[in-house]
Amino acid sequence: MRIVTFLALAICGLILSGCSSQNLRADVDPSSDVAEMTSFYVQRLPSDTRGVEKLIAADLLRRGKRVSHGEALTPDADVDAIVTYVDQWMWDITMYMLELRIEIRDPETSYVLASGQSFRTSLVRKDPEGMVEEVITEIMREAEGL
Amino acid sequence: MKFHQLACRFCSVLCLGALITGCAVGNTYNYAIGNTALPVKGEGEISVGVVDAREYVLSGNKDPNFVGLQRGGFGNPFDVTTTSGNPMAEDMTQHLANALTRAGFDVTEIRFSSPDNAVILTSVKQSALDKNVVLRVREWKTDAMMKFRLIYDIDLSVLDESGVMLASVSDRGDEVISGAGFESANSQLSAATFGTKISRMFNNPEIRAALTN
Repeated sequence: MRIVTFLALAICGLILSGCSSQNLRADVDPSSDVAEMTSFYVQRLPSDTRGVEKLIAADLLRRGKRVSHGEALTPDADVDAIVTYVDQWMWDITMYMLELRIEIRDPETSYVLASGQSFRTSLVRKDPEGMVEEVITEIMREAEGL
Repeated sequence: MKFHQLACRFCSVLCLGALITGCAVGNTYNYAIGNTALPVKGEGEISVGVVDAREYVLSGNKDPNFVGLQRGGFGNPFDVTTTSGNPMAEDMTQHLANALTRAGFDVTEIRFSSPDNAVILTSVKQSALDKNVVLRVREWKTDAMMKFRLIYDIDLSVLDESGVMLASVSDRGDEVISGAGFESANSQLSAATFGTKISRMFNNPEIRAALTN
């Protein structure tokens, strides 16, 4: 009986461990000056119907940056960088954001100057605002060399 | 043994099999696609080729289309291969060629029959182009279970028409790049990470100078 209970618990643990995985990282080109940039354009991902671009723009605004967002590939006015993103969602009782990758690109070449991503499975999920906040914080922390 | 006992054992074996293998069998990643943007703009003809110098491929222990491992429920590994079925070096060459084309170059792809320097030099000379980009991959594989790990060791060189090295840069590491998602997400992330790694190398001042001078 004890063996059966132990095995059942072990299998449950194995299955549930998949529900609590998280990873946060950022990668910044050391020759870039992302931390010093003041103006950004957040380009909406065409398949995004949840308005993640507005969340990213709002977060940058809170950090004192000048921000615009839209669907066009390039902004109307000159900016220091263009921000793109990829979000991935999953269902577990409710929909939640599984992964968010944000890229800060050179406006001329589209070269990725910095990128950051957060991956959170169901048990450690955050709301989209929280995901955006932690990814941008991680990028800026990396960019400032902290 | 009664029928229900047999059925019970059969189901247990099935469940165990599913747990061990899960979605781990037959995964493929597509390195040929990707919208990698390089930090350089250029023009004129250029050749590009990727040398697969991975030890386990050269020894025949793994096929050239091997790109990593996907682990089952108990950490049991299954090979991940390229979506095209082509060698990884060919898919990476296509990825690089697309990136260089977007950067303004007129690109010719080179295939190397061997990782030997003599073979590479002969191929480069045969291309008869002023600029030749060669990516040597000593290691590149992902390992996915709970985390998505990348182990890599790559050299990027620019050679002139006689095979003289104009610039070279190396990068190596062993990084957890994300949590492991499903196959398609892992594939996209692998290609995007490859793009990030090579674009960083193209941002090296010597490489930039060799390509634009």
